[in-house]
Amino acid sequence: MEPLFALLIGVLVGTGVFLLLSRTIIRVVLGLAFIAYGVNLAILTVAGLRPDAPPLLTLKGPYVDPLPQALVLTAIVIGFATTALLLTVALRAYQVAGHDDVEAFGDSLARDPDSPDGLHADASHLGPDEPTEAPTSTRRAPRRPA
Amino acid sequence: MSGVTTSWLPLAPILVPLGMGILMLAPMGRRARAGLALAAALLTLLCSALLLSAVWNGAVLVSELGAWPAPFGIVMTADRLGAFMSVLASVSALLATWAALVNPDPARERHHLFTLMAVLFAGVQMSFLTGDLFNLFVAFEVMLVASYALAVLGSTREQLREGFRYIVMNLAASALLVLACGLTYGALGTLNFAHLAQRSAELGPNATVNAISVLLLLVFAAKGALFPLGFWLPGTYPALPAATGTFFAAILTKVGAYALIRVFTTVFTEDPALPQTLLLILGSVTMLYGALGMLSQREWRSVLSFAVVSSAGYVAFGLGLGTPLALRATLSYLAVSVAVTAALFLIAAVAERAAGTRNVRARGFLDERPWLAGAFLLCALTTAGLPPTAGFIAKFALVQAGVQSGTPLAWVAVTCALLASLVTLLALLNVWRGFFWGEATGTRPAPAPRGTRLPAYAASALVAALAVGGGSLLSFTGAAASDLRGDGYVRGVLGTGPVVIPDAPAGEQSDAGQSDAEQPAGGQP
Repeated sequence: MEPLFALLIGVLVGTGVFLLLSRTIIRVVLGLAFIAYGVNLAILTVAGLRPDAPPLLTLKGPYVDPLPQALVLTAIVIGFATTALLLTVALRAYQVAGHDDVEAFGDSLARDPDSPDGLHADASHLGPDEPTEAPTSTRRAPRRPA
Repeated sequence: MSGVTTSWLPLAPILVPLGMGILMLAPMGRRARAGLALAAALLTLLCSALLLSAVWNGAVLVSELGAWPAPFGIVMTADRLGAFMSVLASVSALLATWAALVNPDPARERHHLFTLMAVLFAGVQMSFLTGDLFNLFVAFEVMLVASYALAVLGSTREQLREGFRYIVMNLAASALLVLACGLTYGALGTLNFAHLAQRSAELGPNATVNAISVLLLLVFAAKGALFPLGFWLPGTYPALPAATGTFFAAILTKVGAYALIRVFTTVFTEDPALPQTLLLILGSVTMLYGALGMLSQREWRSVLSFAVVSSAGYVAFGLGLGTPLALRATLSYLAVSVAVTAALFLIAAVAERAAGTRNVRARGFLDERPWLAGAFLLCALTTAGLPPTAGFIAKFALVQAGVQSGTPLAWVAVTCALLASLVTLLALLNVWRGFFWGEATGTRPAPAPRGTRLPAYAASALVAALAVGGGSLLSFTGAAASDLRGDGYVRGVLGTGPVVIPDAPAGEQSDAGQSDAEQPAGGQP
């Protein structure tokens, strides 16, 4: 069963890396999720894959080592939390920038320090560093670039 | 297990900020919340100081969670290195909290800025005090999740841009770290640092262990912002608010550096040639890249962020040399670097506020802020490594260790270190000339209250104190470095007796003894 899992992990991580290198924000998020799945399967494979060896002491032995399964469980929980956070950031970026291309973010190191880089992207999403009055206009609908 | 000193102390610096952080979620006024935040920082510092005094003469303290002894349960351990890093983190946390308190930020505070900072402090402390590899991953995630939230809290466009980059980079590195944990367990059958050290020593030089250690090196190099993996840093740190940015810059890359030190001096010590060569090369390039990057920037905290990159390179350089003398120098440099980075970022915050712009070419502040000028000059000389500052002591020790090592690669690295110091000096003098010299131009914003400048002066005083106490710093780090070389850590965590792994439970069938090949064999030394 290990060669099958090796292939599967390879496909998952490969897909993840491909998506990670994309320019679309949501694909980057999905790519990271794929990589995380591949890694989780890899840890499971490290423990040994035997259909007749459960990790539960209440069942018949022999037993597979249960520790990697605990590791995978922890990794899944953490991955869930970070993916949720990343999705929130991606959504916010989409709202602020108006489209979901990484180009929306621009580049900070190459810009002219004297030019006012939009600390806030649009008037309806003022950042907390802006001491001006709260915006009253309605939220601008996100739009794709032409 | 005989010879294990159990204590609650290694848990205290982790639980105090975590508990107080949760407490700060309760609805309360700013004054109460600020008081709690300050109390949390002070208490954490107290716990770290107690911890340091407890391990001062070489003891290793262990907290066994659930009373499970070392290779089986989760343990928090503190040797001299761990306690030392814990104190550095607590001092930076106190400075950052102070800076956050004197610069009110109502919008971010409403969204639990102080709680997030406290969780960040707890995660950092846990990274320094944890005793096993997987727990290190968990600590990294606690720290990083808080730092992701802090990086984008406020969601200005710049923060979202840099925060997204930061999160993606760190998530990719974390995936590699989990993979490395799994492979380590598969190859060596344990995740506890001390037990890993014992197992890899039994195994001797081994290609699989080497591959895993290089994978870990890659992960920690990404967290510690070594050259090809550190491109996220110079953009992210200037985008943060001043107070949180101070803590990020002072400590977060040092967590990666600490992990490198722990893994390559305590755990995988059998075949150090490959990781040390890699570290020397990466370190040399990082030093120069950081220094040249400083020259290219014209904004306060962009310049300083590249200084953080450069300092990561010096740590890698010292670790790549690998001799006890180099380790001592590396640890001293870590302390100096943490203090001076915190001071410089706090000074930058004061300067940006006084000038009303991030640009360093505000001119004429030598007359307006003579004390700020003095503090900046001290910190600039410390960063560049000129006498009579602590930076000179640390960098001199590093270069001395490199010269003593004497290999061609070490000579190249020494040259890079000296060259990078020179360029750093040039870049910081550029800042000095642009900001403090000349006639004041343009209009200044209304001066900020005096209290907002105090954290910067306190941090600068700390930098000066490190120069005065350089001798005792070197003697302490020397002792800590010699701990790392011996097996004191392993004996302190695992006890003096051999680790006995009980047999796998047989269940109802009896063929459990010849279990699958992937399952690591029980370790009988």
